[in-house]
Amino acid sequence: MHNVSKMTQLFAAMALVGAASYSVAADTIKIGIAGPKTGPVAQYGEMQFNGARMAIEQLNAKGGVAGKKLEAVEYDDACEPKQAVAVANNVVKDDVKFVVGHLCSSSTQPASDVYEDEGIIMVTPAATSPEITQRGYKLVFRTIGLDSAQGPVAGNWIVDHVKPKVVAVVHDKQQYGEGIATSVKKVLDAKGVNVAVFEGINAGDKDFSSLIAKLKQANVDFVYYGGYHPELGLLLRQSKEKGLNAKFMGPEGVGNDSISQIAGEAAEGLLVTLPKSFDQDPANQALTQAFKDANEDPSGPFVFPSYAAVQVIADGIQAAGSEDTAKVAEAIRQGTFDSPIGKLAYDDKGDLKGFQFVVYQWHYGKPKTEAK
Amino acid sequence: MNKPVRQALFSALLVWAVAYPIFGLKLAFAGVTLQVHGASASTLGLIAGASVLLFLRVLFAEPLGRLRKGSGKPWVPPRVSNYLTLPSTQRWGLVALVALAFVWPFFGSRGAVDTATLILIYVMLGLGLNIVVGLAGLLDLGYVGFYAVGAYSYALLSHYLGLGFWECLPIAGLLAALFGLLLGFPVLRLRGDYLAIVTLGFGEIIRIFLRNLTSITGGPNGISNIEKPTFFGLSLERRAADGAQTFHQFFGLDYNPAHKVVYLYLIALLLALVALFVINRLLRMPIGRAWEALREDEIACRALGLNPTVIKLSAFTLGAAFAGFAGSFFAARQGLITPESFTFIESAIILAIVVLGGMGSQLGVVLAAIVMILLPELMREFSDYRMLMFGALMVLMMVWRPQGLLPMQRPHLELRQ
Amino acid sequence: MPDTFHYLQQLVNGLTVGSTYALIAIGYTMVYGIIGMINFAHGEVYMVGSYVAFIVLAGLAMLGIHSLPLLMVASFACAIVVTSAYGYSIERVAYRPLRGSNRLIPLISAIGMSIFLQNAVQLSQGSGNWAIPNLLPGNFSFGPGGNQEVMVSYMQVVVFVVTLLAMAGLTLFISRSRMGRACRACAEDMKMANLLGIDTNSVIALTFVIGAALAAVAAVLLSMQYGVINPYAGFLVGLKAFTSAVLGGIGSIPGAMLGGLVLGVAEAFGADVFGDQYKDVVAFGLLVLVLLFRPTGILGRPEIEKV
Repeated sequence: MHNVSKMTQLFAAMALVGAASYSVAADTIKIGIAGPKTGPVAQYGEMQFNGARMAIEQLNAKGGVAGKKLEAVEYDDACEPKQAVAVANNVVKDDVKFVVGHLCSSSTQPASDVYEDEGIIMVTPAATSPEITQRGYKLVFRTIGLDSAQGPVAGNWIVDHVKPKVVAVVHDKQQYGEGIATSVKKVLDAKGVNVAVFEGINAGDKDFSSLIAKLKQANVDFVYYGGYHPELGLLLRQSKEKGLNAKFMGPEGVGNDSISQIAGEAAEGLLVTLPKSFDQDPANQALTQAFKDANEDPSGPFVFPSYAAVQVIADGIQAAGSEDTAKVAEAIRQGTFDSPIGKLAYDDKGDLKGFQFVVYQWHYGKPKTEAK
Repeated sequence: MNKPVRQALFSALLVWAVAYPIFGLKLAFAGVTLQVHGASASTLGLIAGASVLLFLRVLFAEPLGRLRKGSGKPWVPPRVSNYLTLPSTQRWGLVALVALAFVWPFFGSRGAVDTATLILIYVMLGLGLNIVVGLAGLLDLGYVGFYAVGAYSYALLSHYLGLGFWECLPIAGLLAALFGLLLGFPVLRLRGDYLAIVTLGFGEIIRIFLRNLTSITGGPNGISNIEKPTFFGLSLERRAADGAQTFHQFFGLDYNPAHKVVYLYLIALLLALVALFVINRLLRMPIGRAWEALREDEIACRALGLNPTVIKLSAFTLGAAFAGFAGSFFAARQGLITPESFTFIESAIILAIVVLGGMGSQLGVVLAAIVMILLPELMREFSDYRMLMFGALMVLMMVWRPQGLLPMQRPHLELRQ
Repeated sequence: MPDTFHYLQQLVNGLTVGSTYALIAIGYTMVYGIIGMINFAHGEVYMVGSYVAFIVLAGLAMLGIHSLPLLMVASFACAIVVTSAYGYSIERVAYRPLRGSNRLIPLISAIGMSIFLQNAVQLSQGSGNWAIPNLLPGNFSFGPGGNQEVMVSYMQVVVFVVTLLAMAGLTLFISRSRMGRACRACAEDMKMANLLGIDTNSVIALTFVIGAALAAVAAVLLSMQYGVINPYAGFLVGLKAFTSAVLGGIGSIPGAMLGGLVLGVAEAFGADVFGDQYKDVVAFGLLVLVLLFRPTGILGRPEIEKV
């Protein structure tokens, strides 16, 4: 597939569309993957699609689930709430019963209304907003920790280990980033750490020179950043160029190889909170290699959670011994699942139970190490 | 070399200059260093094919043009297109569309009804913006700001004061109109494109404030769990809030999520019809005539004693009010609103609906809303290529019908010779 | 005054950002000045230029060429050639067939073109970020040291100098050359220029090409300064550049330069005072304020109403 260019695919798709016929094979289980393929957040969607596709491929190679092969059906919601509803309706129309997605919390929430109504199980690998699981829905799960779980880990670590004098908490004014940053700030405030700057930046912006000048003026020696790697990468890079001598820390959204590519040597020493056993697991080494062999990027915050989401669905079906979504949902609530992001167990709301975050230290051009 | 050959060679080279660097070369990371690789032979083949095609096309432009002129008949015979643009035909077209809209929920699936609801929201927005752009001729690139004001007024009133949809609908419209008035007042003395950028700026400012005032608007999280509209106090949810009764309990029906979807659709239809009717009437009133007169010639308007500021302001305010209605309905349907639903591209799509519809024609706006919302939905099959084709179609439609799908013919007299 | 250095630093930051806005703004202002249309696809031309710069820089690095002047010259040359081709093609496809129609029509087709280009690049080059290391690290610093200093990176100096050179070149071209005179004639009165034997088609194409070439210069400079690119980078920059063009008085080339610089400085100080998240509010708020008192921008000529 990969040496065929996308443009040729386009022509193939155009040629096919007239003759497209859908053979409904009863011997497959359809897994919908819904996320952004277009629009400014498409890069995160790509991670999600790659992870889920790989999981489906590998499960099929092992003989599928309960004797049936999995079939991926992909949907593009562009991370837009109103398109997400349209996607959800299409999922219903296509008779898909299991969905991996959506990516953005703002599109996950309205889509989950439809799924719950129509008896479809949704496992989101990326939406971290607590709201999503607080509405008593039975068929909604996630394979990612909540902002409120990760913030305190980071906050306490800063207080106990870094002991900074003046802290700045910066975020990207998005749901994920601001949520985590607010939760970190709360911990720091409670412990009496001086948070001199609490500020948002515009996601997609390139120039942070005025923010950095401000941080320098405030004598900041530690910066917590809530958000994703592109902005933090630039922030690190420009801080180094402008001589801001501060230590940086970020959530799992920044913990991937791209941060070293963007920030260069400035990524050295960056602290990141990541799910435990994300990397130690030897099974993950094989998986990482499989992604590399397929010419896909295994880094990126949502690749492994998406892989895990497919796995949870498959294991749930296996455990329930049926494809009935109510039974599968029950099985997912009861069981414990091994996944590349650690052992997963669910509480009543559909959130992960006891999901552990560990602080890692980043190294430029070398593997990360556990921070001490 | 003679001229056609030179031009043809130039076009062929142009294809290479445009396509090769972006499509023929691929960036890739090896560890932390960026590398460049050549794309596959098939891509190069495609580029080469395209350049040869364009070469031949330009080389034989003249004979081709003659050929087309020889057999040249316009796509649509002039008499048909004249008939289609007559006001009376358009009126019947509208009636037919409304009739279709009423029977639609009984045939369409849940998805189809939901999409139709979305289309109706855009019909409302298109009709509202049509007043400002199509009729009064003021280019507004920040229309989405008023849409956001409407949506957030319902969401906030429902969230903090517990007001229902029906109470908030007029308030949302009024608040949006008030914003229109306040913003319109200082900027309406600007001309043409200056007005466009200022309105764009206002739209962005409204969005950024909604995103930054986290303590009031929820910031990027937006406001969730917004109440859906009730049917005379009956909730259409599976479980009603305490004390309230649900629709299916009251009528002794089984709970069916389709009720909710169809009910929302019918509200949207009602709102769109009201907008259609009100604007249709306004057009026949002096104020409507004044809008169009202003668009055609501001100086002549002044000479006739019309006050351009008042006329512009009324168009701006009324247009904003309809955006407010559409916004509060959008919030109710979606159940969750975030600032990211109100970006500039949304304004651009609404504007495209007005322009594609034929600037000032109401049936045109309705048709264009259907086209602009349905196209991306239908193109879901193409997955990755969806937006690419949408962009290309926007260009093609403009080139193909620069006057819009169904421009309005105004009553006029022609001199016969 | 402990804050003096801080504010000087913000001034420097603002001027650097502003000078790149100015370069891109010229593309908007020239097209507007001559055919009275807003080229909404201009931000995308800038984005394409950045990709070309990345491809050239990465390709030369693979060949083992690391000499900075050579890298810069090569990326400028390639980016200018390619974006010029884009500018020309956009004019042919999305503008020329629509000349003479209502001016909203080309606006929509340009928005369509911009959506098309974003997605085409995304499909071909991926939706993620590509990054190159800083090619010219290091900076000058003034002041007593510690936090009281003004740092100007070498790259910032390069950006500023190249921008000034490009603008000086453009001004010379417009005011002295034969083609430049033709451009000015077209801006005054297209029909009359045509009657006098000026090939207006090629003048219009030329304005698109010049605008695109300047966007390429900005693209190369910004690629080297920030070192990151993605398919959606053009939109925001395009919007800011457009704002600068209007702020300075759309249609006026010195206006675009001034508008860009003013906007950049306003953003830097706005971010400093109100916080980074209000940067865009400051930018647009300034625009509204300026237009309230000077409805045609800082250097714009007042429009003469014709009957």
